[in-house]
Amino acid sequence: MMIRLFLAAVLAASIPAVDLAAQAPAAAPAGPVRRTPDGKPDLNGFFQADAGGANYGLEKHPAVDLTPPGRGVIIDPPDGKLPIQAWAKAEQASRDRPERGYDDPTAHCFVAGVPRSMYVPAPFHILQTSDAVVFLHERMAWRTVALNRREHLPDTMRLWQGDSIGRWEGDTLVVETRNFNGKNWLNEVGEVVSHAEQVVERFTPVNADRITYQATVTDLNVYTRPWTIEMPLNRQPGEMLEVACLEDNQDLQHLKDVRDEYRRQNK
Amino acid sequence: MKPALILAALLSFAVPAIAHHSFSAEFDINKPVKVTGKLSSMRWSNPHAWIYIDVETDGKIVTWAFETATANALFRRGWRKEDLEPGTVVTAEGWHARNGTPTANTSSITLPDGRRLFAGAAPNEGGPPR
Repeated sequence: MMIRLFLAAVLAASIPAVDLAAQAPAAAPAGPVRRTPDGKPDLNGFFQADAGGANYGLEKHPAVDLTPPGRGVIIDPPDGKLPIQAWAKAEQASRDRPERGYDDPTAHCFVAGVPRSMYVPAPFHILQTSDAVVFLHERMAWRTVALNRREHLPDTMRLWQGDSIGRWEGDTLVVETRNFNGKNWLNEVGEVVSHAEQVVERFTPVNADRITYQATVTDLNVYTRPWTIEMPLNRQPGEMLEVACLEDNQDLQHLKDVRDEYRRQNK
Repeated sequence: MKPALILAALLSFAVPAIAHHSFSAEFDINKPVKVTGKLSSMRWSNPHAWIYIDVETDGKIVTWAFETATANALFRRGWRKEDLEPGTVVTAEGWHARNGTPTANTSSITLPDGRRLFAGAAPNEGGPPR
């Protein structure tokens, strides 16, 4: 017990005071990638994004109150800014207020959608076969990417995680996802997507333990043009653990209290 | 294994925590909290683990609930259920919940011998800035 406490204390003391989230990810040396017997890149394994605080804002931003900073993960447009329409910017600003914290679907333990599922601060396991790539997210969500299907589901079918179809372009897995229900937030500060969201993700392994992840989001209800984020996915030791999010979600009542009190004071 | 190697191994195993909601929405950075009391219980739960501390104020015992990272994150950082026994006197620091209940998000837990155990999520893990 004492050894563990010592190690925990050492580990705690070792956490630097600088904002790690705002730092660029460590460079990854190019190297041989893992391959399946059929010669395709082997993406199987336990990964987590070096997300740079994307779950608290996709643009570069400082810490504000208790919201962590972010290094900025937008690579297109080149200025790193979301090409957001005015109404959506106003909606995002509203969602970022304490009384709207209750409205974030993930506060209710709903699944995070795409691309947010990839950069919430939680690991995920990739299972790959010749027919499908499956993302098992530790937050007890999953997404199946069909490799053996070309047609998306009917437009009337609307899903939290959307409908994903993938294909290989050389060593890059390209995944197109649509059929979203439009209820997701892109992060805790409420960046916006609608039911018109379509995402093209590109998974390119750069060595045995790192995948470069890009996601291009097109949603002309919300943005004036498509935009793209990029971050590394790094292989992790260990394995997924259970997260029974609904079991002890005491935060939800607190967030509801904040919302209800705001409503009482602003009738 | 040398301590430096153990530390390096632990750091490499430090998979970030899960923040599943906005800390800024639930807790107030302008209301820091520091209490000392006896640890009454700990809930190893997700999406966040909770440490309960009995604090005597004006002759009355108030049980404070301190939110930490996920149980999974604490496990990966090397914490185990038996590491914090009920009755241990601890000092907890954090930020008060906006709803006014004796609830806080944890920035640190200090043991009787002065060691400070990190309990919240690190900035890069979805926790508040420090």
